[in-house]
Amino acid sequence: MKSNNSHNKEEENPKQETSPNNSHTTTLDSRFNQTLRNVQGLLKGRSFPGKVLITRRSDPADGTILGSPGGSSSSSRSPSEINSPPSEHNHIHMDDKEDHIHRDKPNTSTTDNKSNPSLSISNSEDITKEAPRFVMGARATDTARIIKFTKVLGGTTVILDKLRELAWSGVPSYLRPNVWRLLLGYAPPNSDRREGVLRRKRIEYFDCVAQYYDVSDEERTDEEINMLRQIAVDCPRTMPDVTFFQQAEVQKSLECILYTWAIRHPASGYVQGINDLATPFLVVFLSEHLEGSVENWSIADLDPEKISNVEADCYWCLSKLLDGMQDHYTFAQPGIQRLVFKLKELVRRIDEPVARHIDKQGLEFLQFAFRWFNCLLIREIPFHLVTRLWDTYLAEGDALPDFIVYIFASFLLTWSDKLVKLDFQEMVMFLQHLPTHNWNYQELEMVLSRAFMWHTMFDSCPNHLAT
Amino acid sequence: MAAYRADDDYDYLFKVVLIGDSGVGKSNLLSRFTRNEFSLESKSTIGVEFATRSIRVDEKIIKAQIWDTAGQERYRAITSAYYRGAVGALIVYDTTRHVTFENVERWLKELRDHSDSNIVIMLVGNKADLRHLRAVSTEDAKTFAEKENTYFMETSALEAMNVEDSFTEVLTQIYHVVSRKALDIGNDPGALPKGQTINVGSKDDVSAVKKVGCCSS
Repeated sequence: MKSNNSHNKEEENPKQETSPNNSHTTTLDSRFNQTLRNVQGLLKGRSFPGKVLITRRSDPADGTILGSPGGSSSSSRSPSEINSPPSEHNHIHMDDKEDHIHRDKPNTSTTDNKSNPSLSISNSEDITKEAPRFVMGARATDTARIIKFTKVLGGTTVILDKLRELAWSGVPSYLRPNVWRLLLGYAPPNSDRREGVLRRKRIEYFDCVAQYYDVSDEERTDEEINMLRQIAVDCPRTMPDVTFFQQAEVQKSLECILYTWAIRHPASGYVQGINDLATPFLVVFLSEHLEGSVENWSIADLDPEKISNVEADCYWCLSKLLDGMQDHYTFAQPGIQRLVFKLKELVRRIDEPVARHIDKQGLEFLQFAFRWFNCLLIREIPFHLVTRLWDTYLAEGDALPDFIVYIFASFLLTWSDKLVKLDFQEMVMFLQHLPTHNWNYQELEMVLSRAFMWHTMFDSCPNHLAT
Repeated sequence: MAAYRADDDYDYLFKVVLIGDSGVGKSNLLSRFTRNEFSLESKSTIGVEFATRSIRVDEKIIKAQIWDTAGQERYRAITSAYYRGAVGALIVYDTTRHVTFENVERWLKELRDHSDSNIVIMLVGNKADLRHLRAVSTEDAKTFAEKENTYFMETSALEAMNVEDSFTEVLTQIYHVVSRKALDIGNDPGALPKGQTINVGSKDDVSAVKKVGCCSS
């Protein structure tokens, strides 16, 4: 995947690119191009509204972007560019716009966002310079997307499949709390029942807390005391770089959620990393009540009843999420081991030179991918991108464990050029601290789009993976 | 493939593991030793992490490949796989939390079950800077280390106290074992390929060089 990665370009001497690896990369390029052609063939005539940017094209222009090793470094930042010649944006990447909406949020109230989705144009100069048509189209599409969301959410019964389809490509942040509750099956699709169900579930959670958490240590078993101790050690270490999470009340809520979950799921109990998984829910459900960016939130501004409700929603959504991957956290974590194995197989099929290099250097996939699966990539990307990533996770629903393997393959192969140049030690260090701190929605969505493409290719044709 | 780099040259490559309960400061000990960094905002380690540093002993360059492991019990199935091939281990406890010291015994057993019997082990009491919160006395820990025939030191990753010394001591002791063994069998350890770890080997009597001597001060 030669030119997919603009980060390499910043870090490496361009000369390295014309190293003996050329033969590798050329093979790679042609294979990737082949992949693209296959997928385009596969998807021809089918529409995936807003899902992936396999765009209509009129010429076999792969070479323009992906060919010529060492060259063509100027393009390929967004998925739309990867999949079509730069000059031919006949399809718009809707989520580029999402991204602007997110950034606008702190300065605008939610109602503004609702009533005036077009406010995002102002942030699009970078795109404007490149292709004015892009902006026009993007704005239209974006409005259309919000209308679609509103329509799907507005009915008496939400059609979840439609919601998944839409949410896969990102949910506008002001709709996210409701969309997530629906996607996870926490809130019922039927709008008449919704409020009642949520009220009942919240009370059920409060009862659990009273029963399990709000008791003295004398009433706990040694095992429970150990678990509570472990959770208490980890809460202050959860999102330590986001000051909001350092507030005592936030940590108390987190502790309460985690402990209650752990007690009610004795097969796994609390496992380090589950604390990270609760954070996107906390942030998203709190965003219904707190304005501006997470950095400036103060939990003291919120009345206790609202905090309790948020906590209950987090608890249930975390539970729903983890229900789909129970054996990821049981003894020896077989679920994760299985997915790591699948990841290795998939990478071997997609990018054999990288797989061979990793193998030759003696690097085990478990050594780096374990954390990815355990924390669902939260540790590997900037926090402001996590909720966007989770839109896709939650839209996948029950299929998430399968699909996530494709996401992680795509994530890993973002650096395929780089990886083949590193020895064992350099690779471990590199994979431990991947250079994603400057990532924005484009980079993340590139990963997701490619994952979707590979999934479409391989998953329906298991023979691709067999040999 | 990676270009050969002169600063990556070494005579010996030793694999060392850092183990101990969650939150005792293993990751900060590692970052203090390898990068001279300390962070109050560090996250829990998931699975294993890895860092290296080279030191000089007797005109030889020793490269330490240090594996930092997650402290939670649930991860032991994953982390114990890393004990294989390790020639040194630091078992860390928190001097302000007695329970982490009580668990040292389990960590020792864990280590002895999964690693080479000749592994060089040091007991490390971290967070020694928090004097007013001390819950484990130096004497108790020293007695325990003597009984278990391990080295012992108290450290503070925050104040960079004894961190350098503890790692250096472990690496030096491993070096003594290995170089003695090399003399014995006429092997050239320097010729070992990179990415491989020297195994102390089971024939060697490492216990002869083990003594409780390098205590805190």
